[in-house]
Amino acid sequence: MKINKILIANRGEIAIRIMKTARLMAIKTVAIKTSLEPNAMYLSWADEIFDHTGDASEIPVFLDVEKLIHIALATNANAVHPGYGFLAESAYFAQKCLDNKIIYIGPSPDAIYKMGNKMIARKLALTSGIPMAMGSEGNISNEEEAVRIAEKIGYPVIIKAASGGGGRGMRIVRKPEEMERMFITASKEAEKAFNDPSVFIEKYIDNPKHIEFQILGDTHGNIIHLGERECSIQRKHQKLLEEAPSSALDDKLRKKMGAMAVQIAKAVDYYSAGTVEFLLDSDRNFYFMEMNTRIQVEHPVTEIITGIDLIEQQIRIANGEAVKMKQEDIKLNGWAIECRINAEDVQAGFAPDPGKMESFSMPSDPYVRIDTGIQAGSSIVSSYDSMIAKLIVRGKDRKEAIKNCKMALDKVWIKGTKTTLPLFRLIVRNQKFIDGNFTTAFIEKDLEKYYYNSDYEEMLAAWLATTLFVEENLQEKSINVDFENGKELSPWLLNKRITQF
Amino acid sequence: MNDKIKIDKLYALSSENRKFSFKLPLKNKIRIGKRDYIVQLRSDEKLGTYILWKNRKYPVEIVRSRQNKYEILFNDISYTFTVETPFSLQRLKVINSRKGMIDSEVIKAPMPGKIIEVLVREGSSVLRGEPVVILEAMKMQNEIQSPVNGRVTKVNARPGTNVMKEDVLVEIKVE
Repeated sequence: MKINKILIANRGEIAIRIMKTARLMAIKTVAIKTSLEPNAMYLSWADEIFDHTGDASEIPVFLDVEKLIHIALATNANAVHPGYGFLAESAYFAQKCLDNKIIYIGPSPDAIYKMGNKMIARKLALTSGIPMAMGSEGNISNEEEAVRIAEKIGYPVIIKAASGGGGRGMRIVRKPEEMERMFITASKEAEKAFNDPSVFIEKYIDNPKHIEFQILGDTHGNIIHLGERECSIQRKHQKLLEEAPSSALDDKLRKKMGAMAVQIAKAVDYYSAGTVEFLLDSDRNFYFMEMNTRIQVEHPVTEIITGIDLIEQQIRIANGEAVKMKQEDIKLNGWAIECRINAEDVQAGFAPDPGKMESFSMPSDPYVRIDTGIQAGSSIVSSYDSMIAKLIVRGKDRKEAIKNCKMALDKVWIKGTKTTLPLFRLIVRNQKFIDGNFTTAFIEKDLEKYYYNSDYEEMLAAWLATTLFVEENLQEKSINVDFENGKELSPWLLNKRITQF
Repeated sequence: MNDKIKIDKLYALSSENRKFSFKLPLKNKIRIGKRDYIVQLRSDEKLGTYILWKNRKYPVEIVRSRQNKYEILFNDISYTFTVETPFSLQRLKVINSRKGMIDSEVIKAPMPGKIIEVLVREGSSVLRGEPVVILEAMKMQNEIQSPVNGRVTKVNARPGTNVMKEDVLVEIKVE
């Protein structure tokens, strides 16, 4: 059986990303229309739309295994792509697909289960000879045990959700006094997010770099890596800016870490695209962190420097094809940087700022790739993630990529919500970032504020406030604000979003 | 505004106490060094409202206003200004010099979300950096911490309830 129609069990930019490749491969796609986003952009990319707007359930359909299987069967889709998030790392969902003779575009349920359970993954890594940070033998049942084990390992330690990922259920503990509270929060967060409150403890590596390797394996036992991604620019374990390759690795270290990544993937007979995450300390020691058994948000930076379409590879592998490339065929060309433009307020602790896109335009320069599920008029709804777009920029080397990124950031035009753009404008001008001298602590420790403004921006804003005041209070006809060329405009009257303090 | 009083200047004071002065009548020119630069407020269908300055367009939005207080979103950054006349500025200086230290602090919700847990009670003493409320937003549990050392005077947050951005969660008397 070959894939001829794919149900996209996802939404937003990743749904579109998958459908773009499917279209190139002449494979039909089905997207699900939900009541939360009945006009979402991803729907326009599908060959077929399954209308699920009548469903008033509180759980999004993208998290409902039974419904998704039903939709796949009802639309005669013989394959499912889970994207990332939602059910992308659910062994149960993958198994259910197989049980119903639906091709799951991803790894085996067994690999998802083993890598998804961090305790099993740890044991696998240990037996495969992969360097690991010291940690607890198994899950921790209560605060007292947590304190006891942390004493043994030595502070700081990190509490992690056994079924976790994406930073949820994770807490760093630096002092025994903090343990009780942190243990309870992490455990509660884990239960909420993953339906599993179990947590374990690891030695916390202070100020590491986050380096991950892209893996590609097939059902014939071939596994290769496509180089690394540098994902150290993160806040509370949420990645914000990623690049490929990493300036922290030379060919020798790349080869060594890549071989380890392939080795851990082999331990679960991995096939499809996957990511092995490592921490790299200042002495260039690296430690296995976890393996993500899905396509990653940041996969485009790898695509840019390798020229390989990862979604296409996933589909081919799911069709039973062998990965034809050998490790020595993989060449890394140039440099790529991705900025995650999220609807978040960097001046208010990165609080989500959902809302409607009033105007939206993205640069179209040849060195820019935009992956987005948003267009003018779209809404960022608070039920889903706050991503607006991924701005992916290439250059012949890191210096050029940063220069291009700086230019591209000034060409992004978003009105309607606050965004992480001012943060990226700051990062690309930061000397430590430019020098490649940064760790996962960069956002929290190396930045004094989270936005960049040019010298005159605040003054121009002050001018506008003063203009408004004059219009409101002085009402002199003589006030001469020149609106030539543009439409005559009273910002006071035109602005719809105005509210009272 | 009494039109008998001649006002020749306005000041925009930022929340960080930076002062920008503008001569009246207000012009669409701003002097930098020895040169005047034209600043234009424009709007079109595609881009919405924007300011054109030195050949570059900056997205701009008026987020809130009340009396002489304006919150402006300029190129994705929020600025809050109070616009003062020379007289009101003088008055403000007098008031500020009389006012002593700020002695109470309100903790507001930094984002909309659901209160998971309230960690303090009225009368509790708190230290700077101590978490007072756990607020869940976009599936993340966030610790809202006290910015000051003090004593809790009022608790508005209730576990299980939803709050809006800027809702006052806890009030603290600085000690």
